[in-house]
Amino acid sequence: MGESNEDIDQMFSNLLGEMDLLTQSLGVDILPPPDPKPPRAEFNYSVGFKDLNESLNALEDQDLDALMADLVADISEAEQRTIQAQKESPQKQPPSASLCVPSFSDTASLGYGANVAAPSQYDDDLPPPPADPMLDLPLPPPPPGPISQEEEEAQAKADKIKLALEKLKEAKVKKLVVKILMNDNSSKSLMVDERQLARDVLDNLFEKTHCDCNVDWCLYEIYPELQIERFFEDHENVVEILSDWTRDTENKLLFLEKEEKYAVFKNPQNFYLDNKGKKENKETNEKMNAKNKESLLEESFCGTSVIVPELEGALYLKEDGKKSWKRRYFLLRASGIYYVPKGKTKTSRDLACFIQFENVNIYYGIQCKMKYKAPTDYCFVLKHPQIQKESQYIKYLCCDDARALSQWVTGIRIAKYGKTLYDNYQRAMARAGLASRWTNLGTVNAAPPAPPSTGVKTGTTQANGQLPQATQSMNTALGEDWRQLETTKDKKPGPGLGSHDPGAPRAQPLPKSSLPPPPPPVRRSSDVGGGSPGTPPKAKGAAARFPAPPDDFLPPPPPPPPPLQDDELPPPPPDFNDAPPDFVPPPPPSFAEDLPPPPPPPPALAPESVRTPPVVVKRPPPPPKRQENPGPPGGGGGEQDFMSDLMKALQKKRGNVS
Amino acid sequence: MAGMKTATGDYIDSSWELRVFIGEEDPEAESLTLRVTGESHIGGVLLKIVEEIKRKQDWSDHAIWWEQKRQWLLQTHWTLDKYGILADARLFFGPQHRPVILRLPNRRALRLRASFSQPLFQAMVAICRLLSIRHPEEMSLLRAPEKEKKKKKEKEPEEEVYDLTKVVLVGGVAPASFRGMPAHFSDSAQTEACYHMLSRPQPPPDPLLLQRLPRPSSLLDKTQLHSRWLDSSRCLMQQGIKAGDTLWLRFKYYSFFDLDPKTDPVRLTQLYEQARWDLLLEEIDCTEEEMMVFAALQYHINKLSQSGEVDEPAGTDSGLDDLDLALSNLEVKLEGSAPTDMLVRSGSSQGLGPRKLTLKGYRQHWVVFKETTLSYYKSQDEAPGEPIQQLNLKGCEVVPDVNVSGQKFCIKLLVPSPEGMSEIYLRCQDEQQYARWMAGCRLASKGRTMADSSYSSEVQAILAFLSLQRTGGGGGGSGNHPQGPDASAEGLNPYGLVAPRFQRKFKAKQLTPRILEAHQNVAQLSLSEAQLRFIQAWQSLPDFGISYVVVRFKGSRKDEILGIANNRLIRIDLSVGDVVKTWRFSNMRQWNVNWDIRQVAIEFDEHINVAFSCVSASCRIVHEYIGGYIFLSTRERARGEELDEDLFLQLTGGHEAF
Repeated sequence: MGESNEDIDQMFSNLLGEMDLLTQSLGVDILPPPDPKPPRAEFNYSVGFKDLNESLNALEDQDLDALMADLVADISEAEQRTIQAQKESPQKQPPSASLCVPSFSDTASLGYGANVAAPSQYDDDLPPPPADPMLDLPLPPPPPGPISQEEEEAQAKADKIKLALEKLKEAKVKKLVVKILMNDNSSKSLMVDERQLARDVLDNLFEKTHCDCNVDWCLYEIYPELQIERFFEDHENVVEILSDWTRDTENKLLFLEKEEKYAVFKNPQNFYLDNKGKKENKETNEKMNAKNKESLLEESFCGTSVIVPELEGALYLKEDGKKSWKRRYFLLRASGIYYVPKGKTKTSRDLACFIQFENVNIYYGIQCKMKYKAPTDYCFVLKHPQIQKESQYIKYLCCDDARALSQWVTGIRIAKYGKTLYDNYQRAMARAGLASRWTNLGTVNAAPPAPPSTGVKTGTTQANGQLPQATQSMNTALGEDWRQLETTKDKKPGPGLGSHDPGAPRAQPLPKSSLPPPPPPVRRSSDVGGGSPGTPPKAKGAAARFPAPPDDFLPPPPPPPPPLQDDELPPPPPDFNDAPPDFVPPPPPSFAEDLPPPPPPPPALAPESVRTPPVVVKRPPPPPKRQENPGPPGGGGGEQDFMSDLMKALQKKRGNVS
Repeated sequence: MAGMKTATGDYIDSSWELRVFIGEEDPEAESLTLRVTGESHIGGVLLKIVEEIKRKQDWSDHAIWWEQKRQWLLQTHWTLDKYGILADARLFFGPQHRPVILRLPNRRALRLRASFSQPLFQAMVAICRLLSIRHPEEMSLLRAPEKEKKKKKEKEPEEEVYDLTKVVLVGGVAPASFRGMPAHFSDSAQTEACYHMLSRPQPPPDPLLLQRLPRPSSLLDKTQLHSRWLDSSRCLMQQGIKAGDTLWLRFKYYSFFDLDPKTDPVRLTQLYEQARWDLLLEEIDCTEEEMMVFAALQYHINKLSQSGEVDEPAGTDSGLDDLDLALSNLEVKLEGSAPTDMLVRSGSSQGLGPRKLTLKGYRQHWVVFKETTLSYYKSQDEAPGEPIQQLNLKGCEVVPDVNVSGQKFCIKLLVPSPEGMSEIYLRCQDEQQYARWMAGCRLASKGRTMADSSYSSEVQAILAFLSLQRTGGGGGGSGNHPQGPDASAEGLNPYGLVAPRFQRKFKAKQLTPRILEAHQNVAQLSLSEAQLRFIQAWQSLPDFGISYVVVRFKGSRKDEILGIANNRLIRIDLSVGDVVKTWRFSNMRQWNVNWDIRQVAIEFDEHINVAFSCVSASCRIVHEYIGGYIFLSTRERARGEELDEDLFLQLTGGHEAF
């Protein structure tokens, strides 16, 4: 136990250091993000806390757990990535046994701080030598490596980085805590960072809910006031959307299945071959076989340009500001919705433009019959995403029947989003496929590496449900710049610090060769190499999954365990049952192979018994972190508070401090 | 062998005299007479002819054309008997490749040598290879339309005919590229100019010319063109084409495979040109909004191609390494806020914009534009305090409202907010101020600040536009009839960019701002991107890619139109233009042509049978269209460039019948 505590301490301190580093780059002054716009979410559904305590208190137990798990997941992931030489650390009080503190290079965790509250944002400068003042841990600096050319280069780079970070001062990563309603009336709180797409959030939710991951799952926004709702497209940026909500909004975000989301890809014939309800056609449609569907999709979505379904017909249009509806003949074209002015024909030259899609989103109108005296309840609504109140700029249209409604909505989505929709679908399919395979295989086996799916950011490494969600946030491809920054941050700080700080040897690569990995690792690698059957399943799985991530690459997959446990109390994967419920991170053994010197996860691995006492398990994570940031002096204060608060809160709830 | 005779001069073998004319089909051609027997091989005859002529020349391209049978004698091992040639045969010994003038999709004329003896399909392969256009199967030749009898000899301006007749391509290998163009173009200045003509978009046509050119006024007119396609399975000679004739080269099948700006500059350009002329000549209809986009793209493309930025990929700073890139991006992010004062007249909120050109409704405010937020104050003194209103321009719509000659420089902003849209008008004092604010607004609407690197170029672009409006665009009064080509080379003459019906509908000075407004959305595109965008927008038009033929369906008494597209056949009512029925090729079982009664019969799944006779074009044109599309749909990326000619001919030919 003592040992484990030490480790934990160390991890913790590392974490703090890391956070400091990160936040620093983010700029301290972010406190309350100055936002001219209506502040983002509120409490009920999404929270931007002003202060840590508030936020912690505000969260329900389960939410808290979830958050914690989130955090841990991020951390451990990062940690894995950075596995390197390990050092000993002084110990501190072990917070909660389960907590393993990894490095924080992940944006996700970062963001948390940034948006949320002052405490989380720390600023400090890179240059400062290591030594995390705040923490009592004296980090023993790792043995200085010999200076080499590499080092010089590293130094040059480090300078650049310093510069970059300075510039970054004001940049901020927004992060929201969002409350998402489940279909069983429960809710989950989730941290969403400003780079996450709906897809990432969905993946995240998949992890947490153990649902079937099929393609119909979506994030669904509801505007009770306007009585409109829609699902997010997978490529949409969640934080951006939520930022449009007003502070006092009643809008809700749901996680549910909607068949309409990808109906067009499941039965394209209903949208592309529908000849205005000729029976004969209907029959054929039902019969369309898979191959024909595929070729129809190919034809429609894979050409030089996407084909928008031909769609025209009479719809009712709500007149501005009135509750009266006018029937007009509308046509859908790739460039917008048009109508036929009175007395004209429906040839292109006579058409008048009703609306173009650039600045509007499409929503379903709910109970418009009641609210606006619509002729039917099959309404769709077009409005600028920022509009939140009744306005003449919101357009209401009403179809005769459900089929027409679904065709119009889908047609408009195709016109608006084009091929992106199809890409989204393929990603979703890939994700769903993985999930099902995973279940088939059973948790124990490692799923085969995820087939590369089309999207860049596809399900990446998460072959199984178990992979920590943290990864996702990493993959999110948001702003390029950001990405780059991040990566640089991730890898470069190491060297930079190293140069400044004698304590830190060189950059990561070095350790491999120069530092003899501590004894334990050896064992481990042999284990893995041998592929001894005895190896804990998880480890194996992980190994299989991540063949050989270059170490400087984004994140080596986080150790599987933490993610699972995130939400509900401890829904630990089966194997871990015996371990304490919380976050017992199974040793990240798998990486040993490819990654540089595996952190010496001493005892843990050795026994092969993953499930052995938690203590063992905990250890491995800590080491890596360190290296990256030998404690930055500046900032820890806030962080520490934050972490300890968090832990305290957690402990209080759990009462399970070791 | 042939020609043994007795002392008296009588021939004693079975030889006879064969008369062969030298040269192309010309009754005056010199001729020579050979003695041959029925056993003589064609090869032997050729040899004899060459001997007889006694001229030193490369005869390798020559072959014998049998006039009565309209047939080339290309099988040199066949005997005269086997061909069935008797003494009365009229044979011409002439070159197989002869010059023709091709009217390219960009309407320029090009003289080159085409094979008169191979099936047109093969001849096209050679022609396209010469022009470096991939996928020759998509193109074909049309007869030039009959010239209308010229009324009073209009002096047709001598037109430049590019000449490629001297260029010889070595067979086999794909032409290597040299100095940025296929090597065979780089031989002389002439051919180089020719390549530029092929690979760069042409300037907009003279609006007057545009008005004079024939345009289809009905669907019926659109069928005319398609009666002129040449037959792909027969050679030019067989189709009555003579050396020096003019033929049109066009993309025939609207199924563009693997269009790649990098490898296909000529193809892309010619396709763009064809699309452009389609639109300008109203072969295909579009809406007003769409026309503005097309016009803006043409304007942009023309500008780029004039300025010689041929294919600078826009916006890739590939030179920078990651960090530098990150840094420069950062720089952009951070610095930008430039308080500026200006005269504002705000008719805010309810859309009560001030009347044009009056100062009424405008009130002067002190306006500060910081980052993406616009704030205005009563006066400069109050600027540090609470602004009267603050608007975040992110996501807003920016509409220029400018009249250069009237010295009116207004910016209309449609700013979304939770309550709806706010309309606000900014009136600037002069061009300079306008350009800066306009650029700021545009960037802000995209979420970028004035510190963005594109800011200054945006300002320049706006200033350039303003000067354009001064020169072109009918700044003077006479907006009602198109200005001639004199409207200054650089000036924007909007009438050259839109179909004539818009020329009638709008004055130039109305058109110019709309085009420029649309231009702002495409201004960042590179030349090839813009061309591609143009093509995509063209493909997105509902009527895209339909070739019309007048037919009469079996059992029907009136003529109808058959539309042939790449995936379907469409039955269209001749008088109204409504779609009556659509059949998709994917459901097609087989089709047959009864050449005797000129009837095409098609069987679809589920025993749907359709039969029609062709009225406006020969049924072999319809047949070839259908077969051609089926053929094109068999192409696969994997198979590369090789064409299965046999399959094509099998699908499109009707050999047996002839």
